[in-house]
Order: sequence, then C-alpha cells, then structure tokens
Amino acid sequence: MAQRHALPGTNVINSQRHQSPSESPEVRRGPGLAVRNSAALLFAADMYGVQLDQLAALTGGERSARAAIARWRALGYAQTARLGPGPAWLWVTRGGITACGLRYTPAQPALGRLAHIRAVAAVRIALEATAAYQSAGPFWRCERRIRARHGVGVRQHLPDAEVHWPDEAPVAWAGECWAVEAELTAKTVARTTQIMREILSRTGDYGCAAADAAVPGRPPRHARVLYLCSPAALRTVVRARAELGPLGARVEVRDLPPGALL
Amino acid sequence: MRRGQGRYARGPHPVRRALGRGLLGLLPWLAAAAVAVLLAPVTLVAAGSAAFGWWRGWPPRRLYAAAAASLPMVVAWLAAVAAWPVSGAAAPAGVGPGPRWLRMAAAPYRAWLAMARLAEHGHLAAAAIAAAPPAVPLGICVGGLAWAYRCFRMESGAGGLTPAAPAAFDERLWRRQVRTAKAMLAAPGALPLLSPNGHVVTGATIRSVRHRAGRAAALPYSRLRSHQVVIGSTGTGKTTLLLRLWAGFMAAGLRGYARGAAHRPLLVVLDCKGGASSRKVADRARRVLRDAGARSTAIWPDEASLSLWALPPDRLVTTLLDLIEHGTGGAAYYTDVMESLVCLAVFAPCGPPASAADFLARLDADWLAAAYGAVGDAGAVATARSGKRAFDDVSLRFRALWRRLGAGLDGGGSFADADAWYCILEGTAEAAVAEAQARALTDLLAHYAVGGVREILLAVDEFSSVSRRLPIWRLYERARSLGLAVQVSAQSWEGLADSEDERYRIAATAEGGIWLLRTPRPGPVAELAGTRSYVDTSRRFDGAGVWDGSGFSRTRLVPVLDADIVRRLDVGQVAYVYRGGVTYVQVKRLTGRQAALAPAAVREPAAGAAPGYPPGWAPSPGPDGLADTVPLPRERPASSARVADVPDASEVLDEAFGTRRE
Repeated sequence: MAQRHALPGTNVINSQRHQSPSESPEVRRGPGLAVRNSAALLFAADMYGVQLDQLAALTGGERSARAAIARWRALGYAQTARLGPGPAWLWVTRGGITACGLRYTPAQPALGRLAHIRAVAAVRIALEATAAYQSAGPFWRCERRIRARHGVGVRQHLPDAEVHWPDEAPVAWAGECWAVEAELTAKTVARTTQIMREILSRTGDYGCAAADAAVPGRPPRHARVLYLCSPAALRTVVRARAELGPLGARVEVRDLPPGALL
Repeated sequence: MRRGQGRYARGPHPVRRALGRGLLGLLPWLAAAAVAVLLAPVTLVAAGSAAFGWWRGWPPRRLYAAAAASLPMVVAWLAAVAAWPVSGAAAPAGVGPGPRWLRMAAAPYRAWLAMARLAEHGHLAAAAIAAAPPAVPLGICVGGLAWAYRCFRMESGAGGLTPAAPAAFDERLWRRQVRTAKAMLAAPGALPLLSPNGHVVTGATIRSVRHRAGRAAALPYSRLRSHQVVIGSTGTGKTTLLLRLWAGFMAAGLRGYARGAAHRPLLVVLDCKGGASSRKVADRARRVLRDAGARSTAIWPDEASLSLWALPPDRLVTTLLDLIEHGTGGAAYYTDVMESLVCLAVFAPCGPPASAADFLARLDADWLAAAYGAVGDAGAVATARSGKRAFDDVSLRFRALWRRLGAGLDGGGSFADADAWYCILEGTAEAAVAEAQARALTDLLAHYAVGGVREILLAVDEFSSVSRRLPIWRLYERARSLGLAVQVSAQSWEGLADSEDERYRIAATAEGGIWLLRTPRPGPVAELAGTRSYVDTSRRFDGAGVWDGSGFSRTRLVPVLDADIVRRLDVGQVAYVYRGGVTYVQVKRLTGRQAALAPAAVREPAAGAAPGYPPGWAPSPGPDGLADTVPLPRERPASSARVADVPDASEVLDEAFGTRRE
C-alpha cells in the first residue's frame, strides 16, 4: 500500500509489504504494542510530516527514531517514504491522526512544500530546545491547526505557526502571542511588508468573523512576529521591516537554525 | 281604475322597483362571493394576510413584499410541473399532459382540480398543500390590496360606520404599530447598531409618512455627517436617542476608517447641563462608545484637559477676547484697550504664551516694553506704556476668568488624544462659565478640524444653556468645509436659540434631519416638515346613522408631521423629520456591557500622569471613594499598539536562532 501511495521515483524505506492494522499480526496480538514517543507522533501530525533526522532529534537518537517509526507503522499510524533529497519523510495516517485526537485531513506532504515543512519543523525544534521555552511551556499552534479552523475560501495570510506564552510563564513576554514565519525564498518587499502589516494589525483569531479580523481599538493578536530567514530571503525581510516604520519594532528577524534547509 | 292606471302608468309598482333595485345591488356581491368560494384557497390566504396586516399594523407594502418573497416557491413549482414525467407516481399537484408551456399555463387550474378532488375525499391538509403554490402569493397580494383599500378608505374619511370611525381606526392602528415595534425591540439581535449595509439603526419603525417603510429605522452614515437637531422634553428618551446616534456614528465611522474609505471619527459632546446627572451620562456614553469600537473616551474637565494655547496666535486673541463679556457704548473703549493689550501679550517676540500663567505674567507693561524693545519695535513699546494703567484691570479680569474656567483649558491635551470627548459644562450652576467654556471648546475644535484628519461630530446637548454666546449657526456655515457635523439638542423649540430667526436658521439648515421627541410645541417643526396631499371626503347621512351613497371628495394639503402624534409620543418614541417625510421610531436602548475598568485599577492613586494616559488625567473620586468614570489609555493606532512596550525576548531568540539581524 505504501508502494502504491509513494510517488514515482521515490523509495519506500521498508521494503516489506505494508499491512493495515487489522492485518498486522502484531496488532492481532492485542494491546502489547505501546505507542512510543507519542509527543513525536503529535509533532509529526502537527507539522504535516517530519524527516528522519528531525525525528531523531525529537526522540533522542536515530535508533529510537527508527524504533518509533516501526511501531507507528505497525499500528498503521504513520507512513514513510523517501520523497525528496535527504533523509526519508514520515507522515501520520488517518489512523494516527485519529489516535492523536486531531481532526486534520490526512495527506502525504506535498513535494512543493517539503523545504518549507522542514524549515518550520527545524524552527520549532530549535525554539523548543531553549531553556525559556521549556520553563514557560508555551503552546505551539501549528499552521495545520490554524488552517483546520480557518474557513475554506477565505483569502487571508496564515502564519506558519503561533506561539502562545502562558500568562503565568516566568518570562518577560508572558501572555504574548507570537506569529512565526519561516522565509525561504524572497518575495517582493511590498508583499512582505503587506504580510507583516496584516499579521501585526490582526485582532481576531483565524477563522473568526471577517468583521473581527482587524478591528481598530482592540489589542493586536500578535505581540510580535518572528521571521526566520534563509540567506536568500534575509535582505528582503529586513527591508520590509524597515518599511514598516515604528511598527517594525515588533518584527524579529533571525536566521533559520542550522540544518533547516533541505 | 283610471286613477290606478294613471298612478302606475309610468312604471312598475314602487315595491317591485325597490326589490329589483335591491336585487341588482346584490348581484355584484353575489358574484364576488361566488368567486371567493370558487377560489377558496386564495380567499382564505387573502383574508389571513389582510387580518395579519391589520393586527401588526403593517403598511400594505410589506404584504406585497411578502407576496414577492413567496414567488421563488411558485417558480420552483412551475419548473417541477414542467419537468415532472406525467406517468410518474406521486406527481405534484398541477402535473398533467401536454407541452411544457401548456403544462405551466394549466398548472394553476390543474392544481385547483387536484385540490377540489382531495378536499372532496376529506384530505384537507393535502388539498391545502396542492393549492398552496399558486394560492399563497396571489392570496397575500389580494390581502395587501384589500388592506390598502381599507387604509385608504379610512384615511380619506370614506370608510367606517360612524363619523368618528376614521379617527378611532387611526388611533387603534397606531397602538398596534407601537406594539409591533416594541416586539421588535424585544427580539434579541433584531436591531443591531449597524445594518449589514453599514447604516445606523436607531430603532424599530412605528409608522412612516413619505419615507420608505422598513421594519428597522436605519440612517445612512452620511446623514450623521450632516447637521441634525434633536428636540425633546425631559424624560422623553432624548439621552437614549443621542447615545444611540453617537454610538452609531462611532461604529459606522470606524468601519469606514478600517476600510480605508474615511478618516478616523471623532465625537465631541458638549453636555451643557452639568452636575451629577451629566457625569452619569458621561459614564454611560463611555461604555456605549467602547462597545461601538471607540478606544478611548475623555471626560473633560474631570479627567482630561485641553490646551487653549494650541490655537494659532490670531485665533487665540479672538478667543481670549470672546471669553470675557464686553459691554457696548462707552464700554467699547475698554474693549479696544483690552484687545490691544491682549494682542501685545500674545504676539510678543518670544512667541505666543504656553499657559495661563505665562499669559498672565505677560500682562505687565514693563515686561512687554522690554520684550518689544529688544527687537526694536517702538510702536509696541509705546502702546504698552500708554496702556499701563489698564494692565491691572485686564489682568484682574483674566485671572478671574481662569479661576472660574479651571484647569480644563490649560492642560496639554488635544482632541487627537481620544476617539470621543465628553465635555461637561456646568450650564445649570454657572451659565456664564459654561458659555465661555463652550465658546473656547468650539474654537479649539474648529481649529483642530482645519487639519482635516478626522471626521468630526460635535454634539451640543442642552444647547439652550450656552446658546446666548455660542453662535452655533456660524459654525454650521463653515462646518461642511471643515468636515465637521453639528448636532444640537434642546428641550424645546425655544431652547434652540434666543431669537426666532436663529431657531429657524438652525432647524432649516439641519440637513441630516430633525429628531422630535414629545414636546408641547411641535408646530414650527411641523411647518418646516412640509405638507402632503390628502383626500378629504365628506359624506351625507341618510336617516339615523346610516351613510348615504353620496358625498364629496377633494384633495387638500395637510402637514406631513402630525403635531398631535408628537404631543402624545411615549418615552422612547421619536419622530424623525427629513426631506418632507417623517418616520416615527421606537428607539432601541443601548447599554454598555462591560465596566469601564476593573475596580482594582480604579483604586490606583492617580497622581500625575499614569502610563498610557494623557498628562493631567486623574479619575475623580465618587461617593464610595472610587472613581465614577475612568479614563481609557491614550489613543494609539491599532497597528502600532504596543510598539514601545514590547518586552525584550532576545534571551530565548538568541539562544534558538542567534543574534538579531538588522
């Protein structure tokens, strides 16, 4: 089944024929098969997919990552394939999404978005690794989750993620909501400025009534927007921030973390 | 025999003739009854809709609209009839053989046949459903026509059994219309502040004359951007109406601003009554305006202050002189002296004064002589020296003025600091002070409006308190070019201005309309509202209490605004007069939902300027020691909010992604 779903030219990691949960002898054995690294499974579900090296960073090593993959595949929770350059990709199936209690539409990561998905996952891994993040315990609201709530056909720019810092967090920016943008390729300065302005002036949640999206007088939804840029996009983003004037003080521009590029 | 022949030779016997006439008269009724029975479904729907229109006090137009709304059902039914296979089982009523056009043309008749067959077999519900597609729109339309005919007959005086019937009919109709409007007010969500097309909804329509009769009384935003007049006695719901209009102006203006179609709105209210009641209204206004989207409402002079010294020097001289009452005749001499000295103080080489203390310090002959002497202005030095004896008098008058005015005009604030300014003028307690304050505030506002950066509505409540020295009609004349609309409210027609000329001038230039609540003298406004043609019918009695068939009808002009209705208006009911028409409205009350600020924040001592608040803002203590109204943070564009106070997050960002890129 995995062979059938893989795109032409891709190689399936596991050469064995994939079995559905009902067919798997391990599943038939009963509840002996535990879900390893459920947080990593949730991570993969949230981020559309994750590459093996990033999964290894989440699970603590390549060996444990492969073991987790084997378990998830046996349970029918995930599929893997070599979709592009670099390590193989893992994505969560319908069964896995249901097991995670999520309501996403299951899909294999689109080829055109692989680089972006990897970059955002790398940003998340890098941010989650910081001491402040671990002590504050904020909520990473991924694009997939935002999009799931967002109305179909509504033309709005969606950020790659939001980071919600709890009010009680022991950090100076407690209670803030950040928008995260991973920028790999350079857009025009005008377009980038427009996106920044839209994010910074937004007052309502994504999926809210159009009238509530940007209401003058209400506090902005995003206290700041965090741009993580590739070298190719950095100059444009910095110029766009300068175009914003005083509003640019709420735009943080940083480099993408090492290994974020495909 | 001869006598008998002579008696009946001209025609039939009178009894037979009367019987014949009676039968002839009955024929149209019999024919109508036959048609009504034949088209029983249409008759039933027509009777029901006419009765419904009567019960709800609807204008016939709404019944026609209801008939039009049911037309899609007819279209769908005709399409089904045309497309349905004849041999198919469970075909809808009206389906029959023939080409498509014939099927559709014959569908009503076939539906009627089906209805008759079903009714004959006792299936009354099925019969009603079979007849419904053609009968419902036709019946509602006929019902509307019948209700329109009934209204016309009663309005023109041609209907009813007694001469008093039309008046009684109108009174009952008004009561039913009020009941319907009140029911609409009670329905949750039926009357939002803004309609979907952005109009400001003030309430439910009771009745309209020469205006479009919609269920909700809605005004386009542009109407609020024109001058308006509100007249109503105490306790008639004037404040409720004004709050609704102000909130509507703010909400619609902010919507236009967000769309990029207009400048940001600014509401400035001059409450010329003063006292505790004004402060309660101010607090209510703040809550209502906040719900409407206003970020901040400044209460002047309790919590916010303005700077009179922001006026340009030439304007400042005029305003300072206007603040002090002058005499005429011999006193004009002192006026000229005062003007010269004030000019010297304001146009001093070091620049205009920055505060009242600065201005008063300049009213000193030696200081002025030294200042002008330093730049070699010998004329000014001579003027200062020649008026040396008058300086003490002028200084004394201005000291007294500033003491009475307080610090409200001597602060550092500007109208740009808030979305709404609620200015409380103690017009009841200190009329002279209120007049001076009103004059200064309007001058400041007019100067601010010249910038053209805001869409401004100046609302002057209880205008009679300051009308003596606030020539509002002068502001009217240049207001349009300034982007400033003026809304004047008074308790009576006489309260609008001192002279009848000025009253008419104010009312006649109210392009945005006149709101008339219950008032004992609506005559002048009724006169301004204009007239409409009216069919007046006189009829003749035939015997005891029975109308004869003959009479006269003539067209004559009657006032559009019924003064008797205005005198009888209940609390919350208002007549809106605009362009020769009038709409009677039951105003929907607005209530501010949330408290202005959490009590904990109110308890904070307000020494000096709190962060985010204009300088000089300090909550005034209420009876319980808490502030009764609380200032909102200083205005900042939504997009740039929190620019300055974004905390430094470089700790986590540097660790995760390296240093910031510039």
